[in-house]
Amino acid sequence: MNQTDNAVKASLFVTCIIDQFFPEVGEAAVRVLRRLGVDVEFDQSQTCCGQPAFNNGFWNDAKPTARRLVDSYEGEGNVVVPSGSCAAMLRVFYNELFHDEQDTLRRAQALAPHVFEFTEFVSDVLGAENREGLFHATKPMRVTYHESCHLKRELGVDLQPRSLIKSLPGVELVEMPQAEVCCGFGGTFSVKYADISAAMLNDKIANIQSANVDAVVAGDMSCLMHIGGGLEKQEAGIRAIHIAQLLDERI
Amino acid sequence: MQSHTKDFRQGAGAALSDPKIQANLEGLYNGFHQARIDASDQTPDWEALQDKGRAIKAHTLDNLAYYLEMVERNVIASGGHIYFARDAEAASNYVVNLAKERGIELVIKGKSMVSEEMALNHRLEEEGIEPVETDLGEYIVQLAEETPFHIIAPAIHKSRGEVSELFVEKLNVPLYDNIEDLTREARDQLRQKFVDAGMGITGANFIVAETGTVTLVTNEGNGRMCTSMPKIHVAITGMEKVVPSIEDLGLFLRLLIRSATGQRISSYVTTVTGPRGEDEVDGPEEFHLVIVDNGRSKMLADPNLREALYCLRCGACLNACPVYRKVGGHAYGWVYPGPIGAIVSPMLTNLSEAKDLPFASTLCGACKEACPVKINIPRMLLYLRKELTQGETYPEHKSVSMAESTAVKGWRASVSSSFMMRLSNLGGRLLQLPFVRGGRIDRLPSPLSGWTKHRKFPAIASKPFRTRWKNIGKK
Amino acid sequence: MTERNEFFNTIRQALGPQTEAPNLTGTGSSALGDNSDAVSARSQAIQAYIDEQSGPLMDSLSESATGAGWKVARFDDLDKAGDHIVGIVRDVEANLVVRSRQDVLESGIVEAWLASLGVDVVPMALGEHSEHTVDELRSLAERADIGITGVDYAIAETGSCVLIPSAQVSRLVSLLPPIHIAIVQRGQVLPTLDELFTIRRRDFLDGNLGSYMNLISGPSRSADIEYTLVTGVHGPGEVHMILVG
Repeated sequence: MNQTDNAVKASLFVTCIIDQFFPEVGEAAVRVLRRLGVDVEFDQSQTCCGQPAFNNGFWNDAKPTARRLVDSYEGEGNVVVPSGSCAAMLRVFYNELFHDEQDTLRRAQALAPHVFEFTEFVSDVLGAENREGLFHATKPMRVTYHESCHLKRELGVDLQPRSLIKSLPGVELVEMPQAEVCCGFGGTFSVKYADISAAMLNDKIANIQSANVDAVVAGDMSCLMHIGGGLEKQEAGIRAIHIAQLLDERI
Repeated sequence: MQSHTKDFRQGAGAALSDPKIQANLEGLYNGFHQARIDASDQTPDWEALQDKGRAIKAHTLDNLAYYLEMVERNVIASGGHIYFARDAEAASNYVVNLAKERGIELVIKGKSMVSEEMALNHRLEEEGIEPVETDLGEYIVQLAEETPFHIIAPAIHKSRGEVSELFVEKLNVPLYDNIEDLTREARDQLRQKFVDAGMGITGANFIVAETGTVTLVTNEGNGRMCTSMPKIHVAITGMEKVVPSIEDLGLFLRLLIRSATGQRISSYVTTVTGPRGEDEVDGPEEFHLVIVDNGRSKMLADPNLREALYCLRCGACLNACPVYRKVGGHAYGWVYPGPIGAIVSPMLTNLSEAKDLPFASTLCGACKEACPVKINIPRMLLYLRKELTQGETYPEHKSVSMAESTAVKGWRASVSSSFMMRLSNLGGRLLQLPFVRGGRIDRLPSPLSGWTKHRKFPAIASKPFRTRWKNIGKK
Repeated sequence: MTERNEFFNTIRQALGPQTEAPNLTGTGSSALGDNSDAVSARSQAIQAYIDEQSGPLMDSLSESATGAGWKVARFDDLDKAGDHIVGIVRDVEANLVVRSRQDVLESGIVEAWLASLGVDVVPMALGEHSEHTVDELRSLAERADIGITGVDYAIAETGSCVLIPSAQVSRLVSLLPPIHIAIVQRGQVLPTLDELFTIRRRDFLDGNLGSYMNLISGPSRSADIEYTLVTGVHGPGEVHMILVG
């Protein structure tokens, strides 16, 4: 596919956590999209969707950054987000946040259909699994998939990541028990209720280990930061990677 | 019941460090939780049932005064008595006074969460009246002088060994080692109570407005006992339990029972309409229905919270909740635990005192997914968090720390522009210098130390994505 | 203001201004919007259906009742059913049997079946039908080994028997004894819970709802200790559904 006027365009909302802590995941996402023929744009003015403040009840403090986001993406076409929770913030929770601000609410609702989580875009819109020879094999690998909560329950995305993983030659997808159960991150919950969060994390790690895999894959760096942080502390020898990275290694 | 919601953290901590409780909570995922999923998968048109059930609940609550007046007319027409209690105390007074007037010495009780709100057993005991819980789980909890751990299975936190020891201690019986023997002992202990009791008190799963009928869903037979043996039957329930027509019961029984235990139907479904007929062989001579507000009208009045009153009290959200499955029911500190409890317990007691409850959630949405009437619990938790932080509808409950407000202002500044993000990145990289080793931070200072106790924390990138973009450029 | 009026006032204030009568034919208002004729029509259609489909409904009930924990046995006629019941009574070495007074049992068939076993059979009856008081009847039911009843309806969807107490039917006959035998006749089986409640609604509109009804779907059970299922908690632990016809 060549870069013509017919190329699919997408503006990347890279999310603050990837921008600041895991920029390599953003780079991987860009490479994958480009390889699929997408003309990727990046609006430098982007900062944060506002979720950290919103989830903690600071709606007034979340509004300015959320408003700026709605403004900057208005009329800009596809917005691709490598995070289920940030995509859900834009598509679902802006309805709550701006319930008393009719004008912004209207514009947020107009933006929503153009917002795609990364695997939704790659699978549903770009049909990556159907492209012959798109992915090449590397050393064989066993992975398990962790279902990030907002991705699954707010956006309804659970088949696309699995179908993408299964289309990778040499990669075996092993389902772990309780894959759909929350990892225990929950933003500030992981610090405010650290003991409960740790107990949930330990269960998740035990389930990952029971699957006997080389890596756990997910669509949200928030989950992966928490799961990966725990795996590293326990020296489990299992990688925690974003699905964009898994695809990028083989595209 | 006295509220201990402000002790949530302690309660959670105690449950987390108790290996027996952790072992007993393990059973929920493959037990009730999976059973509900199997039952709903096997029910044709389950989602259509859910939507219809929700629509009927919404309509009924939107017209609650109309339907409660219908209940009133019909209970009276069928020869029963009805009392509308504005709060738990009024409800208790009614029941206790009735028992005293009738010279009741012994009361047998079926499961009633509302009677826990009222601390009714305490009140009866103060008057020298003996209340005996007859539901097996409630019986165990009563012997142990505890409160229910779960809405459907109140003693599920106790292993058979613990129940055996409890029976030895309180009932002076031998140490049984199997559950059949324990059950038989409970049956034998309660048999004579059923015969001797002057009053039976139950809850109600549904109140049918059209006919003034109370519906009980049970498995053990104690609900039938309480409504067939004593001379007086008192049913106590929350005012939100109304359904319009008797033809609605099929739908709601399917939604409730399949979501609670995964059964197609419980062993017994019992409907009570007034006292027994004149020519009937047996049954109570007197029927009283006590309908309780106790703060529900506050949720009714708040359009953001009204849907919490759709709750069928099935317990599905508890079974689905990864937090409840770790900390159990006692941590929540009042009658209603788990996701629905995180809304109802604060609203019926004191919102700011119970502020841990709406916050002790990852907002994973498993509760919303499990709910038979699709109650959007996460949305209401977010609303309560907003209220606790910004205090708009309930200003007297605004409860936010200076430290957190300041931190949020800092965050707000750091995301106010790309420039500020870059500046914060720089600031962060400087601050983290003493702590970073191999791209990871092993120990964060307080108040973030909770993180690093169990996880490594990543270092802030020296080249954030936005800086790298100019090098990525266009291919 | 009285307590009762205060209660309603609080609710009305919470709901805000509204018209007094809700829209009963709108979304979510359930069946209340139907008039009595509509209920009659539905009820008659049900009656026609259950007569026509009585065979398949009995088959379906047999399966669901077994799944619900009933011991199910099916016979062409009452005599053969009687032999089976005699077998049960003999096996448990029962001394005392109580029975309801539904039509199917009123002709004295239980007494006839059990005559040769030397088992006492007590119909749970008051007034001119018996010399027992309410308390004596309750005692007898408590001492009885088996309770035998007919049913008002059975439900194929859930494997349930429906018993509507009346002068003929005691609440306790199917509750106190440790064993309950229920005789279901062809033509009594409803497809689902919905048909039952339509019929009951028709009864209510006719002034005939009665004070009580039990749907019984298997033995008394509990899983309150360690999620482990036990039967025979407070109600009968052994329940037999005898299908006749």
